[in-house]
Amino acid sequence: MTSATTTNNPNFVQRLARDHSPLVIALVLIFMAVCIIGAATAPNFLTLFNFKTIIRDAAIVGIMAIGLTFVTLSGNFFLLSMKETAALAIIAFATCMAAGLGFPMSFLITMAIATVAGAVQGLLIGLGGNPIVVTLGAAGLFFGIGSWWSDNLVVSFRRPHGAEWLGTGSTFGLPNITIAFVIIAIVAELVLRKTSFGRQVYLIGANRAAGRATGHENFAMAIKVCIIASVCSAFVAVAFSAQVSSAHVNYFSSEFGSSGDMTIMVIATVMVGGNSIMGGYGSTLRSSLGAVFISTVDNMMVLHGFNSGPRVLAVGLMIVFSIMVFALVRRGSRAEE
Amino acid sequence: MQPLLKLTNIKRSYGAIQALKGANFEIMPGEVIGLVGENGAGKSTMVKIISGFDSGFTGEYELNGEALHFSSPIQAERAGIAVAQQELSLIKTMSVAENIFLAGDKVPTFATKRSLSKMAKPFLEEVGLGHIDPSISTDRLSVGEQHLIEVARLLAHDPQLLILDEPTAALGESDSIRILDMVNRLAKRGKSIVYVSHRMDEIFKISNRIIVLRDGESQEPRQAADLDVNSLVELMLGRELNNMFPARVAKQPGGVPMMKVQDLWPDRFLERISFDIYPGEILGLAGQLGSGTGDILAAIAGATQTRDGNLVFKGRNFLPKTPKEAIDAGIAYCSDDRKHDGLFLGRPISDNLSSAALKRISTWGVRSDRSELEMVTENAVKFTVDPARLPQEAGVLSGGNQQKVALAKWLAINPDIILVNEPTRGVDVGARAEIYQKLRELADEGAAIVVASTDIQEITNLPDRVITIYRGIQVGEIALEDMTAAAILKEITDPFDETGLQEGQTV
Repeated sequence: MTSATTTNNPNFVQRLARDHSPLVIALVLIFMAVCIIGAATAPNFLTLFNFKTIIRDAAIVGIMAIGLTFVTLSGNFFLLSMKETAALAIIAFATCMAAGLGFPMSFLITMAIATVAGAVQGLLIGLGGNPIVVTLGAAGLFFGIGSWWSDNLVVSFRRPHGAEWLGTGSTFGLPNITIAFVIIAIVAELVLRKTSFGRQVYLIGANRAAGRATGHENFAMAIKVCIIASVCSAFVAVAFSAQVSSAHVNYFSSEFGSSGDMTIMVIATVMVGGNSIMGGYGSTLRSSLGAVFISTVDNMMVLHGFNSGPRVLAVGLMIVFSIMVFALVRRGSRAEE
Repeated sequence: MQPLLKLTNIKRSYGAIQALKGANFEIMPGEVIGLVGENGAGKSTMVKIISGFDSGFTGEYELNGEALHFSSPIQAERAGIAVAQQELSLIKTMSVAENIFLAGDKVPTFATKRSLSKMAKPFLEEVGLGHIDPSISTDRLSVGEQHLIEVARLLAHDPQLLILDEPTAALGESDSIRILDMVNRLAKRGKSIVYVSHRMDEIFKISNRIIVLRDGESQEPRQAADLDVNSLVELMLGRELNNMFPARVAKQPGGVPMMKVQDLWPDRFLERISFDIYPGEILGLAGQLGSGTGDILAAIAGATQTRDGNLVFKGRNFLPKTPKEAIDAGIAYCSDDRKHDGLFLGRPISDNLSSAALKRISTWGVRSDRSELEMVTENAVKFTVDPARLPQEAGVLSGGNQQKVALAKWLAINPDIILVNEPTRGVDVGARAEIYQKLRELADEGAAIVVASTDIQEITNLPDRVITIYRGIQVGEIALEDMTAAAILKEITDPFDETGLQEGQTV
C-alpha cells in the first residue's frame, strides 16, 4: 500500500485534460463544425466584421454568466434576479449621468447599489433561504424600485458623455466591451484557480457539510458570490446604457438577445458551458465559451434569416444537449458513491 | 417438538469476505430467541437469509420440516416470516390504519377510512396501542409508538415468525419497555420471535434461548437462564486479538490537562458531563449506538448546537459555535459519516487534504501550488495514501483509503486535539491497523486524541483510558489496568444492574 514518494506534478496538457473533460472537447468540435457550416452556407459569416459582432454579443451575456457561475459553482444554484439587478443598475447609472455626476461617480454609485443588492440576497441565502425563492422575491423588489424611480420612462443623457469609451469606443479595432469581457474572463478564471477563495467556492459547492466541517461556512460564501454576480450584472447594465445613452427598466426583459429574457439567457449560458447545477464542478472559462458558442449559433441563424422562434428553440436544444453530454461524461468518470 | 425454523450449515460470502461460515439457527414455536454478536459477526446476514432478502447462500433451510429456498422477501412473507427493520418504513403523512394496511392484503377494493380503522383496531390492541385512534396521522406518534405500528403492520400478515432487528436502538427507556412487553405478549400467543439486540439487559429479560454469532460461526443455542452478562460477552468475543492494535504503556496519571471539558451539555444528554483530556493520550468514549458519545465530540468541535458547556483550552474559556472556531483553536474533528461531511468526494484527493488549511498555503489569498503539493504529499505519505493518486477524485477510493484521507486532512492544521467518531467504520482490516498505528503515533507526538466508538474491540484495545456512556449519562471511567471488554460492556449496556444478575457470577 505504501509507495515511493513520486512527486506527481501534472503538466499543462494533462491538467487541461483532467479539468476539462471530453465535454469541452466536444463543445469545441461542435463549435468548429458550426463555423465550417456557417462559412460554407452564409457568405457573410466568415468576415472579420461578423466575428467581432459575435464576440460583442457574447460579451453582454458572457460577463453576466461569469458572475452567475460563481453562484452556481458554490452550490447556491442560480440568481433569478440577474436581469432585474441590471434593470435597477441601468436606471441608477442613467439617472446619475443625466444629473451630470460624470462617469466615475455614476459608475461607483451603480456598483455600490449592486453590491448592496447582492449582499442582501446573499445574506438571506446564507441564512438558509432557498436561492430560487429569495432571488425571485428580490427580482420583483429590484424591478419595482427601478420602475418607480424612473416613472417607467426612458431616462436619457446627452452625448457627448464620459461613458462613450465603454459603450461605443474601441481599441486596436476591438470594441472595448469585448476587451472587458476577455479581461473579466481571465481574471475570474485566475481567481477560481489560484486563490483560496476560488478553492472555497469549489469545496463548498462540492459538499456543503464537509465545507462547514473544514471551516468554510456557506454564509460568507453566499454573500460573496451574490455580490460578484450582482456587480457583473450591473457592469453589463452600465456598458449597455453607455452604448445607447439611455436606460429603461425593460431593456433586459424584452427585445433582448434571441429569447428576449436576459436571466434565462444567462442561465442557459452557464448550463451550455457544462457547469454542474449542483455546484463544485465547472469553471468560468466554460461559461465564457458557452456564451461564444450560443452567440455563434445565433448569429448564423440570423444570417440565414430565421426569426426569433427558431432561435429560441436552438438555445433550448443546446441546453438539453449540453446537460445530456454532461450527465453521461460525469457518470463515466465518477465512482459510485 | 419440531422446530418452526431450522437452518443448518449456512454459508454466505460476499466477494472475499465470508460473512457466514457454516452457521446454524433454530427456533421453536412460541419461543423468543435472542440473536447476539459483535458488529460484523454475521447477525444481519443471518436475518437477511431468514427473511428471504438474501438468496445467495448455501445450506439447509427448513420451515415446519419442509426444505425451502426463498428467492425474494415476498415469498418469505407469504410463508409467514416477517421482519421489522431498524429503519422505519412508515409513510408518516398517512393515517395509522392506512400504514397498517399499506401492502393492501385482505383489504376490500373499496375501503373507507372508517372501515380501515375498524380493521386496524385488533392489530393495534395486539401491540399494546389499543388506546390510539387508527385514523390519526402517523407522525403524531412517538418514535417508539411508530416502531410498534410497524410491528402491527407485520402482524396484519399473520406471521408465524417475527424478526425484530434492534427495535430499541433509537428508543428511550419507556418506549423500550413497551416493545419488550409486546414481545412477551406475542410469544404467549404462540408467535416465534427472533430478537436482535446489542442491549444485554433486554436480551436477558425476554429471551428463552440465546444464539451467539461470532466471526460468521454460530455457538450452540444456550438457555438464557444458564448465562450471565460476563459469560455471554466471553462467548461473543472469544477470539484472540492479533496485533492490530499498537502497544500501550501504562502512564502515570496526572500532569496538566490539555483541555478541561466542563459541564458540557450536548443535546440528547440527560445531565452535564465533565472530563479532562491529557496530552499524549488516546481517550476512548465507549457507548452503544445512540448513547451519545458522538454528540460529545460534535459539541466540543462546534459541529452541533449545544445547550451549554465550557472548554478550558490553551488558557481560554470558550465553547465553539462553528467548526471554524474549533479549527482555528487547533481542534480537529472527524464525524462518523465521512461521505456526509468528511470528504469532498467529487474533488481531487489533494483538494481534500488541503481543505482545512487553505490559509497555510496561501499568501494574501493567493494559493501556492507548490506549497500545497508539498503539504498534501507529506500528509498523504504519513497516512500511507499513495501520492500518485492525489489528482484522483476522492470518491474512487476504497472505504479504508477514504477514511485515511478524511483523517489525514487534519494533519495540515497541526491539531492539538483530534476528535474521531468511529475511526474505522466500514474500513477493511489492513487500513484499520494503519489508522490505529497512526493515531498512536500522533498521540506520542504530543497530540491528545479522543475516540468515540461502538466497536467493543476497538474501544477495549486502542485507548489509554475509557469513559463510559450509557443513554446520555456519563457512567464512569476505566483505567488501562482494568480495561477489559467485559468491564466496558457491563458499563455501557447495563450499568445499573437492571438485568438483576450479579456481576462476576461464574458459569
